[in-house]
Amino acid sequence: MKALGKGSIAAIVEAGLGIARVVLWALIGLWAAAFVAYLAFVVLMGAGALDPSLAELGNGESLRVRILGGDGAAIENVRWTDWHLILPALLIAGVGIGGALIIVTQLRLMFLSFRSGEPFRRENANHLRVIWITMVVIELSRYVLMGLTAALLYHVRDPSVTAISLSIDGERLSTWGSILILIVLAEVFREGARLKEEQELTI
Amino acid sequence: MAIRVTLDRILLDRRMSLTDLSERVGVTLANLSILKTGKAKAIRFSTLNALCRVLECQPGELLSYEPSESDVVEEAADKAAE
Repeated sequence: MKALGKGSIAAIVEAGLGIARVVLWALIGLWAAAFVAYLAFVVLMGAGALDPSLAELGNGESLRVRILGGDGAAIENVRWTDWHLILPALLIAGVGIGGALIIVTQLRLMFLSFRSGEPFRRENANHLRVIWITMVVIELSRYVLMGLTAALLYHVRDPSVTAISLSIDGERLSTWGSILILIVLAEVFREGARLKEEQELTI
Repeated sequence: MAIRVTLDRILLDRRMSLTDLSERVGVTLANLSILKTGKAKAIRFSTLNALCRVLECQPGELLSYEPSESDVVEEAADKAAE
């Protein structure tokens, strides 16, 4: 099976990315609804307009929250009113879903050009640049929001927490490695597009 | 681009159309138009050879150098660096 052109692997991947894009849009809608609903819940609960028993998670189940994985601080018995935990988590989810949507959209545009059999276009270099910038933004946002969660935990919820460690695990390092590879790849595509243009204008 | 292709002047001198030249040189009309309008980025020796053969001229008659603004600025920068 050929890699580029009609009926190629690129065409199949492009179709899959189209489906992923629709799913991500649906997730964005769900996330926005959940975010607005949660804000309304917090405000109403704060105003005493809702039954306090609604604040319990399920049947009194405890929810274990780990900060940045590893052996970081663990907080149990999270309640729905613990906005300082749930809001940053919702924001992290929002950044993740939004970032994934941007990445999938850009990848799909790239695979559209692969399907037409022309990979070396300036637009593709720009798409790759948008992808790596999005990945950087997602990663940095994650750190900021994790830090925010930790700070809120420290100051608002649990006075017994005396220290919270933030660490960068191996998975995160591989993400930064991927970002570096994408930066190089974007420049390779830019140079490839330049050479192709030059070749096209060589008589 | 500081290098200009003077194909139109030579064609006028030879009373030859671009279509005739295209047929005799074996380069498409579209590519010759790119060359004539100065949009070309490079020219192959084989193309230059064919053009010189058909037009009975030297490469220097087909190409001329006219410094552009960027060339002047670059030259001034080089002199300043020296």
